[in-house]
Amino acid sequence: MSNATATIDADVVPAPGWRWRTHFDRLLVAVVIVALWQVGSMIFGVYWLSTPWATTSRFFAMLFSGELIRHSGYTIEESFIGAVIGGVPAVILPFVLRRSPILVSILDPFMVGGYGSPKLALAPLFILWFGIGLESKIALVASVLFFIVYFSTLTGVRALDAKLVQMAQVMGASEQQLARKIIFPAAVPNIFAGFRIGLPYAIGAAVITELISSNRGLGYLVQVGAMNFDTTQCFVAILAATIIVHAVGFGVDGTERLLLRWRPSSEATLQAGGN
Amino acid sequence: MNAPLLEVRNLAKRFPTRAGREPSPWVIRDLTFAVREGEFLTIIGPSGAGKSTLLNMIAQVESASAGEILFQGSQIGLGDSKAMRPGLDRRVGYVTQDDNLLPWRTTIDNVLFPLEVQGQLDDKSRAHAQMLVDAVGLKGFERYYPHELSGGMRKRAALIRTLVYDPPVILMDEPFGAVDAQTRMQLQEDLLRLWTLGRKTIVFVTHDITEAILLGDRALVLTKQPSRIGAEHIITIPRPRNVKSFLTMPGFAEIYERIRAEVL
Repeated sequence: MSNATATIDADVVPAPGWRWRTHFDRLLVAVVIVALWQVGSMIFGVYWLSTPWATTSRFFAMLFSGELIRHSGYTIEESFIGAVIGGVPAVILPFVLRRSPILVSILDPFMVGGYGSPKLALAPLFILWFGIGLESKIALVASVLFFIVYFSTLTGVRALDAKLVQMAQVMGASEQQLARKIIFPAAVPNIFAGFRIGLPYAIGAAVITELISSNRGLGYLVQVGAMNFDTTQCFVAILAATIIVHAVGFGVDGTERLLLRWRPSSEATLQAGGN
Repeated sequence: MNAPLLEVRNLAKRFPTRAGREPSPWVIRDLTFAVREGEFLTIIGPSGAGKSTLLNMIAQVESASAGEILFQGSQIGLGDSKAMRPGLDRRVGYVTQDDNLLPWRTTIDNVLFPLEVQGQLDDKSRAHAQMLVDAVGLKGFERYYPHELSGGMRKRAALIRTLVYDPPVILMDEPFGAVDAQTRMQLQEDLLRLWTLGRKTIVFVTHDITEAILLGDRALVLTKQPSRIGAEHIITIPRPRNVKSFLTMPGFAEIYERIRAEVL
């Protein structure tokens, strides 16, 4: 989300009704995707690539039978607990470390290592350590989200305008007040950016860990579907995961818009439409 | 006569020298002046004369390399940057070049910010803040965010944010720098009116000779680097002064010419 884009967008005044136009065009893209999918399943055979209709009807069948909700709920639960365990320390740590740049630079290579290491490769290890239940998925979700949110928050804390801090100090603000009233609000956009990027990835991590070893969850549905040559079920599970990711993204954007009302509107529009 | 409220003695500043380079030059050297209580002191200096550095040192957000700063006769800790107390326990207010309003706070919440961190937020102080908001014509804009305000409004908000907690000394670093001439005049008028109400001690730094004469009781002229006080001018133009007709003020042209000759 570069500044250059923001400036360009600010200059362009959207024509009235542009929102409806966007919705219409999106529908058009959806129709094209479904059509291509249909054509694909006709070419390769329903056995290998389930049809859109079969997927949709199975989706609703599994939804109403409660099966889909049960499995989705399992995945959502892991993601949520993992997001709290990984995300909260990731937000707090940069604030704690702010006063000691030395500690930040000591930790840096390890954090970069943690951020860069292929976390999905940890899934078998976590299953070994924490078993095939909730815990191994929570651990992976937390480890995926932690590093993304940590670096994002750290960037926000570092990018802070030193003059604002100086102003507050001259007015008698304590260290704690600085953190709460200046540094935190200034870092909120970065914290949100971290969650917006990290959460879909973290949900993906939960699904993949389920896929490797579990008896519940959307990943398990994919795995069982593939084992039974039931591509319809695979698609239903993937569709459900995609819907969850979208819903989470929607929630994050909504919360952000509420918290960042103070931003110039061109930026806000960009944020809202930029997902 | 009492001891001056604020005194600066042989103040000097040079920035740390980088390894393997020539020693960095003195930005400020042997700078000495004093401010009486209730005095409006203006300091004129060309750009790059270290005006902001001088105020930063007095406000204790930047360390001095040598010299003393005295507040009510007692010395303020110098040298060690760890021991600095920005704002001298709220005794020195500082209106900077940039308005430094918090973008996530509305006008009124920005103005209330110092009261909030100082734990002085009550009905009385709120009413005082509202009075200041009204006095500078920000009434009706209390709930606006800084990005929704004009440059002049932001300057006014920044100004009253410092006035609201009533520090004994207020430092001002070209606070009306980045606005158009019309707005600037309006702001100067606002400042003079507010000053007449409270008679604060003000140290006002500017590169604008007219502004320095218009506002001050006394104007100091800084030399080129290394900066020190080059000249002092007592401004006897009677108050209240009308900002819009400064050219016809008795003695204005004469002081202006004298200062201009020193600055160039």
